[in-house]
Amino acid sequence: MPGRYKAEVVARRRFGTLVELALETGSAIDAEPGQFIHVRCDKEGLILRRPYSLSGMAGSVVNIMVREVGAGSAWLCASEIGQELDIMGPLGRGFSIDGGSRHGLVAGGTGIAPMRFLADRLRRLGLEETLYWGVEGEAEYGGLALELAKECDLLFATMDGSAGEKGNVVDMLLDAGVEGLDGIYACGPRGMLTALAESLNDETLAAMQVCMEERMACGVGACRGCVVPASPPRRGYLTVCRDGPVFRGRELDWERIRG
Amino acid sequence: MGEDKRINLEVELSGIRLRNPLLVCSGTYGNGREYAEWVDLEMLGGLMTKSVTLEPCAGNPPPRLWETPCGMLNSIGLENAGLESFLAGELPWLSALPLPIWVNVAGFSQREYVVVASEISRSGMADAIELNISCPNVKKGGIHFSSDPREAADLVEKVRKVVEIPLYVKLTPRCGDIVEMARAVAAAGADGISLINTFPAMAVDVETARPRLANNTGGLSGPAIHPIAVLLVWEVARALDLPVIGMGGIWSWRDAVELMMVGADAVAVGTLNFSDPAAPLGIIGGMLDFLKRKGIDSAAALVDMAHREGG
Ligand SMILES: Cc1cc2nc3c(=O)[nH]c(=O)nc-3n(C[C@H](O)[C@H](O)[C@H](O)COP(=O)(O)OP(=O)(O)OC[C@H]3O[C@@H](n4cnc5c(N)ncnc54)[C@H](O)[C@@H]3O)c2cc1C
Ligand SMILES: Cc1cc2nc3c(=O)[nH]c(=O)nc-3n(C[C@H](O)[C@H](O)[C@H](O)COP(=O)(O)O)c2cc1C
Ligand code: FES
Repeated sequence: MPGRYKAEVVARRRFGTLVELALETGSAIDAEPGQFIHVRCDKEGLILRRPYSLSGMAGSVVNIMVREVGAGSAWLCASEIGQELDIMGPLGRGFSIDGGSRHGLVAGGTGIAPMRFLADRLRRLGLEETLYWGVEGEAEYGGLALELAKECDLLFATMDGSAGEKGNVVDMLLDAGVEGLDGIYACGPRGMLTALAESLNDETLAAMQVCMEERMACGVGACRGCVVPASPPRRGYLTVCRDGPVFRGRELDWERIRG
Repeated sequence: MGEDKRINLEVELSGIRLRNPLLVCSGTYGNGREYAEWVDLEMLGGLMTKSVTLEPCAGNPPPRLWETPCGMLNSIGLENAGLESFLAGELPWLSALPLPIWVNVAGFSQREYVVVASEISRSGMADAIELNISCPNVKKGGIHFSSDPREAADLVEKVRKVVEIPLYVKLTPRCGDIVEMARAVAAAGADGISLINTFPAMAVDVETARPRLANNTGGLSGPAIHPIAVLLVWEVARALDLPVIGMGGIWSWRDAVELMMVGADAVAVGTLNFSDPAAPLGIIGGMLDFLKRKGIDSAAALVDMAHREGG
């Protein structure tokens, strides 16, 4: 059950341009990887909450990873230990972990947040996973790659070649081969997700789940603001906040998403 | 708490009794269900549904939202599942609540408005209709029903004939003469006026020179439009003797009281619900404290106060 909490910032760590916050909600939280919380930013002039994927959780504490891109995220990044945040969540539909033992996770940039939570969940279930993470350059996310490498089987790609493999993370996954995977899970920029979806065949697309982003107002399915195009025959639109943020590859109309 | 009992929050609009003057705006509370697990809906004064159209409507392509300083733009484009689904699923659920329901009706031709409004009225499950006339008339090349008073009055007259419950007409703030518009729809048979819908607006990303919304333009809501709502409610309430539901950027109990003082008989919270779904209840609490502090014994006594004081 989602709820509204006054959550206290109990830990704060910086990884390059990302700030990881641990939030104490005061009650046991039941959340799935891929779900998000809707966070109020008490900054003058900002009227909407900001959605953030859960990057992990333990008991009554939930974690998020915030990248500073504008006024709201800047305010969140500057929040201090002991500060209270007004959050709603966990919201939306998370990843469903398919049967089978081999799982491929692909993250682009900040898309790492839900993937970290998912990798942790898979590991606890005793499943085998490989996490492919692509970024522009190593410095962008500080020592996060090193830390993740300790937690899971990480294949790291940088566009500028500053660490890991040089190049694009989708190519890295495709080169490794997707045929034998029981589940493909992806989160990242639109361009990366469409490139991935369009290089899969019918069968592998069915095995793909993507975590989507869209601008949000309500976060609970009431305003119809946060939609993505649904695939035929359904057509029309699905809401990211309630029908998603996680969708099966075949639920979405990738042609219309590419635009 | 004993004291509270002496303060009467009830208001009456067109014979409909509201336990307090706080409603929620069309399109900002879904059809109630989305917020049922967050808020005790029965504590609201009333609920205005998302716009219902005859056929299912897919709405505009995304992105549909953009935040602006103290406001937001939306171009949802009336996305809804259509009349049939609304009558089968949403309205029965809503009407089971002990809560007055204004069903918001929209259309792309006069006929569509007439059919939807008459079916809603006939269903016996709605307390009132709120007619959203800020829609393009496809048959007339897309000019809006709210574009001129004759067009609006013509529509209201046709809808009036088929509706047996109170008919409220929701006006756009982008209007040459709001009083003339309100008079025209009143003469055509409206029982009440809702003020205001979003204000047409636009934003562009200068890095790419592309509009922020896929639809290019949208409607501005939130605190940025509140003073416009205050002015228009003031003008309409002064000129007409019809109930008015005031809305537009209500962000606190003060804004709600302000709209009542300029003539709103009830008020509706919109965009604020997105960041605080329980905001209408908080506003009721704030209003009650205010009435106590001022020694005013009813919410209804706030209505028109500024007209009496300001002349
Ligand atoms: C389901 C979901 C999960 C997300 N998870 C994360 C995460 O784990 N870490 C992270 O750093 N960011 C995440 N984001 C993106 C994050 O919500 C935006 O970066 C943030 O809202 C930007 O706010 P701002 O005020 O700093 O930026 P501004 O650009 O000033 O924001 C203006 C408006 O646009 C919206 N907006 C801006 N960028 C985005 C975006 N990419 N997606 C959706 N809305 C946006 C804002 O919410 C705000 O309403 C997620 C978005 C969604 C939808
Ligand atoms: C996301 C969104 C959707 C809306 N949808 C509708 C609608 O379907 N029909 C309608 O008559 N008004 C709609 N409105 C307008 C509101 O009902 C209200 O008139 C307006 O937002 C002003 O109030 P506010 O500033 O408090 O939000 C919508 C507003 C928003 C923000
Ligand atoms: S943000 Fe309102 S429906 Fe998704």
